[in-house]
Amino acid sequence: MPEKNSLSDYINKSNEITKVFDKKIKISLLSSFTINGLSEILKVKSAERHVSCIVYEAPYNQYSQEILNENSDLYKFLPDITFLILDTRNIFGEIFRFPYSISHLEKVKIVENKINEVKNLLDKYIEKSNSKIIVTKLNIPSFSPNGIFESKVEYNFSNMIEDFNKQLTENYLNSENIFVYDFDKFVAKNGEDNIFNYSQFFFGDLKISMEFLPALGQDLMKYVIGYLGITKKCIVLDLDNTLWGGIIGEDGFNGINLGPEPPGNAFMEFQRVLLSLHQRGIILAINSKNNFEDAIKVIKEHPHMILREEHFAAMCINWNDKVTNMKQIIKEINIGSDSLVFIDDDPVNREFVGSIFPEILVVNLSDDPSSYVLEIENLIDFSVLKITDEDRNRGKMYSKQKKVIELEKTSVDLQTFLNQLNLKISIKDVNEFTLPRVSQLILKTNQFNLTTKRYQQNDIQEMIEDSNFLVTCVQVEDKFGDNGITGVFIIKKENKNEWRIDTFLMSCRIMGRDIEKGIMTHIINKAKENNVQKINADFIPTQKNKPIENFLSDHDFKKEGQSWTYNIKSKIKFPEYLRIELE
Amino acid sequence: MMSNKLYEIISRVMKIDISSISDELGPKTIENWTSFNGYVLLNELETGFNVKFTIDEAMDVENIADIKRHLTNKGITIDG
Repeated sequence: MPEKNSLSDYINKSNEITKVFDKKIKISLLSSFTINGLSEILKVKSAERHVSCIVYEAPYNQYSQEILNENSDLYKFLPDITFLILDTRNIFGEIFRFPYSISHLEKVKIVENKINEVKNLLDKYIEKSNSKIIVTKLNIPSFSPNGIFESKVEYNFSNMIEDFNKQLTENYLNSENIFVYDFDKFVAKNGEDNIFNYSQFFFGDLKISMEFLPALGQDLMKYVIGYLGITKKCIVLDLDNTLWGGIIGEDGFNGINLGPEPPGNAFMEFQRVLLSLHQRGIILAINSKNNFEDAIKVIKEHPHMILREEHFAAMCINWNDKVTNMKQIIKEINIGSDSLVFIDDDPVNREFVGSIFPEILVVNLSDDPSSYVLEIENLIDFSVLKITDEDRNRGKMYSKQKKVIELEKTSVDLQTFLNQLNLKISIKDVNEFTLPRVSQLILKTNQFNLTTKRYQQNDIQEMIEDSNFLVTCVQVEDKFGDNGITGVFIIKKENKNEWRIDTFLMSCRIMGRDIEKGIMTHIINKAKENNVQKINADFIPTQKNKPIENFLSDHDFKKEGQSWTYNIKSKIKFPEYLRIELE
Repeated sequence: MMSNKLYEIISRVMKIDISSISDELGPKTIENWTSFNGYVLLNELETGFNVKFTIDEAMDVENIADIKRHLTNKGITIDG
């Protein structure tokens, strides 16, 4: 389906953007055909997410020249993200129409040449620029002069393109800077005859029709969201008519619609898609007006529930209003409200939550449960450029977290609680295995983050290799299990006598357990061992890092001008309830 | 009615006031009527009126009157 807004709507809206946002992104567009309008679409969609977007569009079909010439405007623009949008017609030229006019061997040779051309461009660009580059796969045209016999032809044109796409994908599978966009999936979703309009192609060399250019922009925004780390992390769900059909309080355990027959199967499938997101690291929570006993019985015992108690990091099932419950969920999970998505079938609840928390993504769920699945599938806000082991295990960790909270509730005081937790902190230098997670924490952590400096993975790699920096991560374990890598600090050795804390952050999951005291003790003792006299630090306030505002003064740092300083006198003792391991 | 819709689309795409639109206006007199915006206009007219312009019709458009003529030929009533 094309988007509701037409291309001219986007062009007009983009001209009306006057606000400059704190978050910025610079995008370069390189293409082998006319993509006029795409830059306006990206600007509007970025502004909707409070991001200022500046775009450089390379001249028409000059992507090779722009990449090969190191003095080109492309390099001068210093983009964060570059999209290289290629198309099959342009790459294969005359072969596009006449693939069977050449021998098998020539076909193999042509694919090899074409993939090498593109690889050379990508490698050269990555060497000379700091931008991430996203290159499109080639689309396989549905038409063949061979008709239905095509699949009997060895190394047919489809195979040639598949080969090209496969080599492109495999070559950059582990690249941090080069991403391959599944353009063929975009075409599959929207349809070749919709995407490619012969009239627009003949008239203006448009290879993506104007009606579907906004849909492409929507897809490409996933990279912007992932790059900036403005990803949603948690879905808060209503129960009645959202996770199951009907109202449990009225229809009863056996009366709700949830099962293999319609309409219950729509709710089961909806739960399956939510579970698939949960398994890759999206947190789930419940915000429902219901008798707790009624609802929890369904969650625990209904034979067709897909989502069970262990999948929810928080369950607010009571008669409080949805905003009060939302505040409770935010507190329990310890998450920024701007990381939340809210799904509720009731428009009044959606309106209420959206009016109090404009930063929450409130999904305008349709009246028809059979479209719930697609509405979730079409959300682009869960996009990340990488998925780490920590992400995959996040669900289990939050389930564990619930047990920690229960222990805290039953402990007489904080010290007893911390003693019972058996906290163990492992402090380790960052290596190739931990780098992706460290990079993710640096890009995403908001609350317990002293400077909120955002470094891309290659920046961190450079610091690791630089002897003037200490890049260190922290893994935390407690009696309930492993929390994974949840803290990072970067020390800049300013000179022989002075260090500076460039970055100090901890995941909100482990806040409130004095882990930070242990880490700071480690830094101070390490500085002492290196005969450093002073540790300098900065606190850069943001809207979100209030939890860390007293961190420096609490650890005897004194404010000197704009900066904070700690004068090292003697070694200090680790808090008794913490075990520290150095690796 | 139809004329209003036509003028609304022209106004939106070319960023000119509805009141200033007249039959003789075209790429030479409307600043935003670039070749690309010309395609956008035809495309949004196609969507708005649920019609298809042939490549000959598209290439023949030099002013608003041409657009009205092609739309009329497709059975669209243009007032005024």
